Amino acid sequence: MTAGEKIVVSKFRHFYATADGPVQATDMVDLAIRAGEFVTLVGPSGCGKTTLLKAIAGFLRPTEGTIACDGKPVREPGRDRGVVFQEFAILPWRTVRRNISHGLEIARMPREKREKIVARLIELTGLSGFEHRYPHELSGGMRQRVAVARTWAADPDVILMDEPFAAVDAMTRLTLQEELARLTAATKKTVFFITHSVDEAVFLGDRVLVMTRRPGKIKAVIEVPGRASGRDWESFKLDRGMQAIIEKVLRLVREERGAAAPAASDAQPAEAPT
Amino acid sequence: MSFATAPSVAAKSPGSVSGIGDAWQMLGGLKILLPFAVLVAIWWAIKAAGDIPDNLLVSPLQAWNAFVHLVTYGVMAEYASTSLTMLGIAAFISMAAGVPIGFAVGVNRYAAHALEGFLRFLQGISGIAWLPLAIIWFGFSHTTTLVIVIYTLIVPIIFNTMIGVRAIPEGYALALRSLGAGRLRLILDVYLPGALPSIVVGLRLGMGYGWRALIAAEMLVRKGGLGDLIFGARTFGQIDRIMVGMIVIGCLYIVVDRLIIQPIENLTVARWGLLQR
Repeated sequence: MTAGEKIVVSKFRHFYATADGPVQATDMVDLAIRAGEFVTLVGPSGCGKTTLLKAIAGFLRPTEGTIACDGKPVREPGRDRGVVFQEFAILPWRTVRRNISHGLEIARMPREKREKIVARLIELTGLSGFEHRYPHELSGGMRQRVAVARTWAADPDVILMDEPFAAVDAMTRLTLQEELARLTAATKKTVFFITHSVDEAVFLGDRVLVMTRRPGKIKAVIEVPGRASGRDWESFKLDRGMQAIIEKVLRLVREERGAAAPAASDAQPAEAPT
Repeated sequence: MSFATAPSVAAKSPGSVSGIGDAWQMLGGLKILLPFAVLVAIWWAIKAAGDIPDNLLVSPLQAWNAFVHLVTYGVMAEYASTSLTMLGIAAFISMAAGVPIGFAVGVNRYAAHALEGFLRFLQGISGIAWLPLAIIWFGFSHTTTLVIVIYTLIVPIIFNTMIGVRAIPEGYALALRSLGAGRLRLILDVYLPGALPSIVVGLRLGMGYGWRALIAAEMLVRKGGLGDLIFGARTFGQIDRIMVGMIVIGCLYIVVDRLIIQPIENLTVARWGLLQR
């Protein structure tokens, strides 16, 4: 392990037991994420992206290979690795404020300290004025902000995000992506972010990983140069260098979608052939 | 764009809903009473037109007089309180035992599969079907009645708790575990509130079945309660008492449902947006 490497995945292979026998989800994934890095992962649907994330989170035991966080093997979920899910996994019976402070309550942080942190995150995620609302009173975008704020409030070193913005509308998504970029830069977190949108992967990532179709392995690693002015969609769309990277990643992803999938199917990812 | 609309919609809805709600409630109140009025009218008409003797059917007025008589002498209060106390004790015991059992089964996928058929089998054997055995084992006693009512109440509570636990999205527990939550935390913060809507449904069903089983058991056990009241009245041909007793049985159930179960729902499930009305 090299110094500064936060998450190291080596020779990770995973099989799921199904009624028709074991199905291989991933094939020999090797991967290292440096501290403070924002790594995005794109790949066709069903290629094992989520399996990899769940293994890093500690929700499942790898069939083969090892996963380490700070040099220690991952065996179960832990406070050092926060997770943001696609399906807004905030609790409907807690208000916005109490959802965000949940991790701090679990850690038995004194009330005063807790409220300070929660207030700051409500401010940062644009949830001011909604503190006492229940999730069902919020839009999808707002709910996902609560989920993000809850994870950030617990102050984990690593944050794992599984297509967190896939279920919100397109306009909201752009805003949320910009906000996430800002939040991550301000808090210097290590982020591992899964998506099937190439634009999103290049916009957010310091490094973009492309996964093959199932059983997935890392096919290519593309470095994305940092942007001194921060990350916003307007300048990103005008940046020729960035658009060239998108083209490159898109080509790599399309190869994996196979000949059967039409070329213009970026918005609707084709199922990976088995 | 969606940010701008979300708050305004959320802020407006409570006010407008309660405004319409008031009007609906008044209209709803009338609607609820109408079928009762029709029933009493038909009852009265049959009694008057058919010239039916009092030992077969009494008029609503005679029933009312019997009711006043039973209330004045404290008879009604005694029989009704016996029934309500039995239901209360049975509900308490059934919740205290049924919810943990439902949980234990619900969190274990194999146990849930294994027990689903068995619970349905038990649901098929009504509480009354247990009466012969219960009377042999416990005699003509309150114990027999309690056993029957608890049995009737506890099965839907176990069943619905189990279903409620299993219906909780997996992500809730996973997210909490990655926030460092242990088993106790998961139960208190995820599984208990998550299963509550279903537990309330189970309690509600159970109270309905339990109330019916209670009246039936009281008729055979004859140790007080409204079932005893109406069955006892039969021996002396007191049609008025039988009819008053039946009406009180129906009314008390409405009161129990409205005064006890609905407030629980409104305080929790409705507030969290988990209830579709």
